[in-house]
Amino acid sequence: MATNMKWLGAAAGGVLTLAATGAAAEGRLGTVLERGSLLCSGHNGSFLGFAEVDDQGQWKGVDIDLCKALAAGLFGKSEGHLEIVPISWAQRWPALQSGDIDVVIKVSGWTQSRDTELNLSYSTPYFIGAFQAMAKADLGAERIADLDGGSLCVAAGTSTERALATFLETNNIEAELLTFENGDELRNSYYEGRCDAMVEWAPSLAAGRVDAPDGADNHVILPDVIALEAEGIIVPEGDPDWLDVQNWMLSSLWFAEVEGITSENVDEFKANPPSETVAKFLGNTPGYGDRLGLSNDWAYNMIKEVGNFAEIYDRNIGEGSPYGLPRGVNSLYNAGGVFYPFIID
Amino acid sequence: MPAHHPVIPAELPRQNVLTWLRSRYFATRRDAAVTIVFAAFVAWILWSLIGWALLDATFAPNAGEVCREDLHGGACWSVVSTRWRIVLFGLYPFEEQWRSAIACIVMVIVAVLSCLPWFWSAKRLPLLWTAGFAIFYVLMRGGFFGLAEVTEQNWGGLSLTIFIFAAVSLLGMPLAIVFALLRRSSLPWIARTMALVIDVIRSLPLLSIMFTFAIVLPFVLPEGLTGDKLYRVIVGYALFFACYQAEIIRGGMQALPAGQEEAAKALGLGYWHRIGYIILPQAFRNALPPTINQFVITFKETSLVTIIGFFDVMASGRAASGTADWNFAVVEMYVFVGLIFFVFVFSLSRYGAYLERRLGVGRR
Repeated sequence: MATNMKWLGAAAGGVLTLAATGAAAEGRLGTVLERGSLLCSGHNGSFLGFAEVDDQGQWKGVDIDLCKALAAGLFGKSEGHLEIVPISWAQRWPALQSGDIDVVIKVSGWTQSRDTELNLSYSTPYFIGAFQAMAKADLGAERIADLDGGSLCVAAGTSTERALATFLETNNIEAELLTFENGDELRNSYYEGRCDAMVEWAPSLAAGRVDAPDGADNHVILPDVIALEAEGIIVPEGDPDWLDVQNWMLSSLWFAEVEGITSENVDEFKANPPSETVAKFLGNTPGYGDRLGLSNDWAYNMIKEVGNFAEIYDRNIGEGSPYGLPRGVNSLYNAGGVFYPFIID
Repeated sequence: MPAHHPVIPAELPRQNVLTWLRSRYFATRRDAAVTIVFAAFVAWILWSLIGWALLDATFAPNAGEVCREDLHGGACWSVVSTRWRIVLFGLYPFEEQWRSAIACIVMVIVAVLSCLPWFWSAKRLPLLWTAGFAIFYVLMRGGFFGLAEVTEQNWGGLSLTIFIFAAVSLLGMPLAIVFALLRRSSLPWIARTMALVIDVIRSLPLLSIMFTFAIVLPFVLPEGLTGDKLYRVIVGYALFFACYQAEIIRGGMQALPAGQEEAAKALGLGYWHRIGYIILPQAFRNALPPTINQFVITFKETSLVTIIGFFDVMASGRAASGTADWNFAVVEMYVFVGLIFFVFVFSLSRYGAYLERRLGVGRR
């Protein structure tokens, strides 16, 4: 009997130790490198400009390009090392915690409850999205205040709805809110004239305006910013190494933009680095990758595949895309925006 | 006093179309007015519908620019002719989509074959479906016979919808029979436990069951037991299906006169013979209309899996129209997906009607 108890105790202790070592294993970075492929978040359908499907069923978009950049940084190239897992909005957090995906890059705003209660870690934001209103041009409205007494269409149960309600309250604007379950419904109702203006995330608004059934000129996007949302890359909390990789990936894309390094001229830069820092950045001298546990030319591989941040933006939602969204606040600091690379020392 | 026998014609004399029309629709002036107004209204709707869907429509692939310039014109079916492969196959690798197509056709053929009375035996039916699923799996998943491996994550479109539906029905049906029998058990603790389980599952929304099986289960179960998300969801959905179907079968059983089972007992038949030869066949006949109903609902509700990130035919449809080039053609894409659902659900209910005629439900 006594021996049995001892055996049980030893077994229980063993299981606990095993569980402890399992939890303390190298973290997500190690897991991903060992697996040889990155599981990145996709979408269950499409989110214009950020995650779309082309005619051949291949993913494309800003978020998809960031996934590709990450995979290229980790493995040298994304092909064969990246799996885009289709994920719905509701599912992204549990899927991240359960390990179905390694990282959430899915235009997800940085909110306090997500950061604290859901135990998520946010990278530095990579996109600033404003909530704005689009109104019928013939109303002659120039600000949201001009829509006093009118009606506004908004998506139900979103952070947009809450921000809009707060905005109306603080500015003493009386307007009727009509809420809709999904984006298609919302847009159709607005174009059919159910409401005077529609409130949405600005990039979606601009994308929808292009396809207004009565022509884009009949609709104006009002300049008032109802709220700003900072979109970041999300990893589980308590994994600093993995978070570092995300932050330095974004910084690298901005650094390349500052230095004028693009996917096309990156080889010239690598052959003839103009400065000591760029040489380090592209992996000619060691350090830039080692510190993160990656190969030293990881930034080179990334730029080679997806280009710098400006290229990603232009290709998917900027001038080089049908949306033609001006970059505005999403530019680098030297072009009037709020983004900047960190210092490489 | 000559007796006047009123002459009652055995049949009404044959009318020609004109008199028939006249007596039915133009009997009085008011009738005529109502008929004309409604006929004009229906004709107007039909005409604009045909004009939108056919006459003014653009069919050629890659004609997005043409449609865009003429947004008040007809439907832009160009979105379907350009991007139909996304709707049918989702994210399945482009070069391998023929496999998904064949797998889909195999599944439909198996479903059609199993509707033929020749296959209705305890040996043939399971054999047919096992073969069907094996072919489907090998084709879709690959990894054998030199086929490139495609993981379940990349399955999508119509093939995925059909696979989920077939797997749920096939897993759910036997489970439903077991549940119904357990619920009717003469041992009260078995019957009550089963009743509780059925009621609990029925009181939960399907969406939350799917969510639990897809996302919560991996936290609870040990590593090796979880399996792919797709199979977890199918098991959860099958459980849900079985609970509803068990109640339908139980309803069919309760409609049987008690004398049937007593007579079978009197003949000395054992439990399994009574169930297999007397009770279940009659119960199924009674329960046929609601059973077909349940299948139709199950097929349509497969589109809920998009919430847990599957690229079923609905999500694929949204992805197909969700790009800068085609975002104006959302309605056309929904109509196309709706047509796909219609074809399947309509054939399902026509088959149900055929079965009812064949088994004489409602006559006996």
